[in-house]
Amino acid sequence: MFAPYPEWRRGCGAWLCLTLLPFARAAAPATDDTAAAWQLMADHLVRDAYVRLDQVKGPPSRESDFAQAVVAVDYQPVTQARLHEAEATFAALAAGNDEIAEAAAYMQARLYQVHFQQLDYPRAAALYRALAERHPESHWAQLGLVKLGLLLLYALPEPSAPAERIGAATVLLARIHEEKLQRDLHLQIARAGTFYDQPLDSVLAHLIEVNRIGGLVGQAPEDLAVELGELSLRAGHYAQARAYFEAYLRDFVPNLRSVTVRRRLADLAALEAKAKGLRP
Amino acid sequence: MKKRRSRYLGLGLLVAGYAFALFWVFTRSTPVVSSRPVTIRIAHWQIEKGPPDGVDAIIKRYEELNPRVKVEQVLVPGRVYNQWMRTNLVGATGADLIEYGVWLDGLTDIPARYFEPITDEMMRPNPYNKGTALEHVPWVQTFTDGLLNQRVNAPDPGQFYAVTLTEVSERLFCNQELLRTITGTNRMPATFADLRVVFEQIRAYAARTGRPIYAMAGARDNASWLMQYLLQGAMMQRSQRNDRHGNLAVYPWEELGQYLEGRWSYGSPEVRAGLTMMREVSVNMKPGFVQSLRDAATQEFLRGDAVFIFAGTWDGTSLRRLATFPIAVYRFPQPTRDDPVMGPYFYGAFADGGGGTAMEFYLNKSSAHPKEAIDFMHFMTSVEGNQLFTDHSGWLPSIREVKIPSDIEAYRTPLDCYSFGAEYMTGMGSTVAAAVMRNLYLLTETHGSVDQFVNAMEAAMPEAVRTDLRKEISNRTIIVRPQDVGIMAAAALSRRAPQNGSLPLARERLESSQTQSEGLMLQLGRQLEVAGAAK
Repeated sequence: MFAPYPEWRRGCGAWLCLTLLPFARAAAPATDDTAAAWQLMADHLVRDAYVRLDQVKGPPSRESDFAQAVVAVDYQPVTQARLHEAEATFAALAAGNDEIAEAAAYMQARLYQVHFQQLDYPRAAALYRALAERHPESHWAQLGLVKLGLLLLYALPEPSAPAERIGAATVLLARIHEEKLQRDLHLQIARAGTFYDQPLDSVLAHLIEVNRIGGLVGQAPEDLAVELGELSLRAGHYAQARAYFEAYLRDFVPNLRSVTVRRRLADLAALEAKAKGLRP
Repeated sequence: MKKRRSRYLGLGLLVAGYAFALFWVFTRSTPVVSSRPVTIRIAHWQIEKGPPDGVDAIIKRYEELNPRVKVEQVLVPGRVYNQWMRTNLVGATGADLIEYGVWLDGLTDIPARYFEPITDEMMRPNPYNKGTALEHVPWVQTFTDGLLNQRVNAPDPGQFYAVTLTEVSERLFCNQELLRTITGTNRMPATFADLRVVFEQIRAYAARTGRPIYAMAGARDNASWLMQYLLQGAMMQRSQRNDRHGNLAVYPWEELGQYLEGRWSYGSPEVRAGLTMMREVSVNMKPGFVQSLRDAATQEFLRGDAVFIFAGTWDGTSLRRLATFPIAVYRFPQPTRDDPVMGPYFYGAFADGGGGTAMEFYLNKSSAHPKEAIDFMHFMTSVEGNQLFTDHSGWLPSIREVKIPSDIEAYRTPLDCYSFGAEYMTGMGSTVAAAVMRNLYLLTETHGSVDQFVNAMEAAMPEAVRTDLRKEISNRTIIVRPQDVGIMAAAALSRRAPQNGSLPLARERLESSQTQSEGLMLQLGRQLEVAGAAK
């Protein structure tokens, strides 16, 4: 009908688009706003995310409820009343049986571990344990076990002896099946081991696992490389120490620590010679 | 007639004034509407001679390459920098890129609250290094030190927060003419024992001639740098003993925790040796110098009233541009194994630089143009950008492959000395730093002594250490809490876009660095709990 008048056709098309736009917007799933809010949270724009979640139309979904509780955790100024409201939401969502339930249960424990003004480590530990019982294979349960390990290592009243603390955290490793999370707990157990002056061989076993799994960023990989060499040396595993020190010198940008590593390699040569009954 | 003439004169003046104003507005003033839609600001306190020229050169070239972006350099004097930074960040009016140093008094919470990590960018090559030897090298590895200091001082151990522009070291700047006049030779003392002899010669010369000449230009800042240098050297053996994790390094929070555990104190024999050497040097400075800041020491040296000044290479360009006499740059003469004071604690030559790169710029969380700000960070730390900085500032580069001009080659510290990182002074925390600086006069003034300083510090330390450890924990809490939101957001986005592999990686990194921070926080908390309240 409009064939002879292409400009009319274009005009009508534009008019239709403009007219239908508000209807399309209204019909669009509410989750689009939730997705946008998640993106804002990932970009650290919590205030904007909070506003965006207020714009979600229609009946609230489990996901939008969860997002609203999550954003409240870092909506400045954070108030205890808002955190308690968030906890109630997390607790209600955690009763479900989907991934949101698992994440909500994890967040509930996090409130007691780091967010509330009055922290309650035993309560956080109990919540991590309950999550791991209920959804043992969930990522959030697995991450919760890593956090539980930290609490066992340093914060919970029982067990109180350092070796027992480390033993209790080590038991958790068997329940963690995600390799990167295993790595993080191995690293923390090793750090606790040196902190509590535990036998070096037990510390080294964890560090070697961390090194095998790999993937750390920031300062940790360089520290790990040096620790493996130095603790091996102190434990008397000279060949192992040499291998790790040489790997450090090969893999990292030289800095002043390389000078000390070279000196430790010289110390190592002297110790090896002594062990063999030779002059260095 | 006369009245009419004056009326025409008035009218003529008005027209001339209007014409001049038109001319000025359209030819000389800033355009009413900028031709560059994006403006970013970079703020720092390096207002010495050199760095502003270096940053200007970077900006000029960057603006040629990026016609959309205007970059403004904001120079803030060091005296007001802390207040300026705090108020601007609180009011969300801070510059897009801001220089920050972990030692700045009372500002340890700033990175956690106001700066944005740039970890993902650090793992990728710097786009402005295309066509250079660093083209395919991850950004972090293009820095001469792999951003060592930055990694150590990052509020979150698994994250990168800043880029650096330069490498710094500490050197002894010498007025060669004055040295020759007094000692009859240009030869620099090679060891601390030789330096003692030169100090003696200078004191004798001043007494003989009546000229108020001192061996060392003195100021509170210069004394503080010197004391850090001597203490870290004296404490190296003990640092190695205290390095329980096997890092071959001792971090500032470890120094605090180890103090609580009784692993060191200002009364330890090694510390006393370092303090004794500090006193030996400081009595060769003008009495009352602790009241003055670094500018006063610079002026004293430039007036020819002091033979040496111990300063950072950050003062090198100012000294060289302003001095009317030739300046030689030397490494500070160190004690040897047979030194009567430091000998028993000798470990080896200790570091006078080379510990890492500096002039750290952080991305403001409130930046309106974070993409452009990161792009400018890329350019200023590219081979081209950093070469411009080096050539125009007279400061060392922070980037590999940048050519070092021969006149500043002496600033570079070769990898021939040791450092465990710990300096047992101002770097531990702002409360300890305040106590050290408050009591410094007890060590350095004519009637002071090592004992007086040690006693004052031992009285202040138990509470100061606890306060700084609590601050360490609370600063890390500021980082850790919002990470839960970031982790949940990354997981939710990942559920919606499972094909996007970067989201699970971002979540995993965040989880890992959060766990490391929490482990450290709990460890520090345990140390505080075991130590109990200060007595």
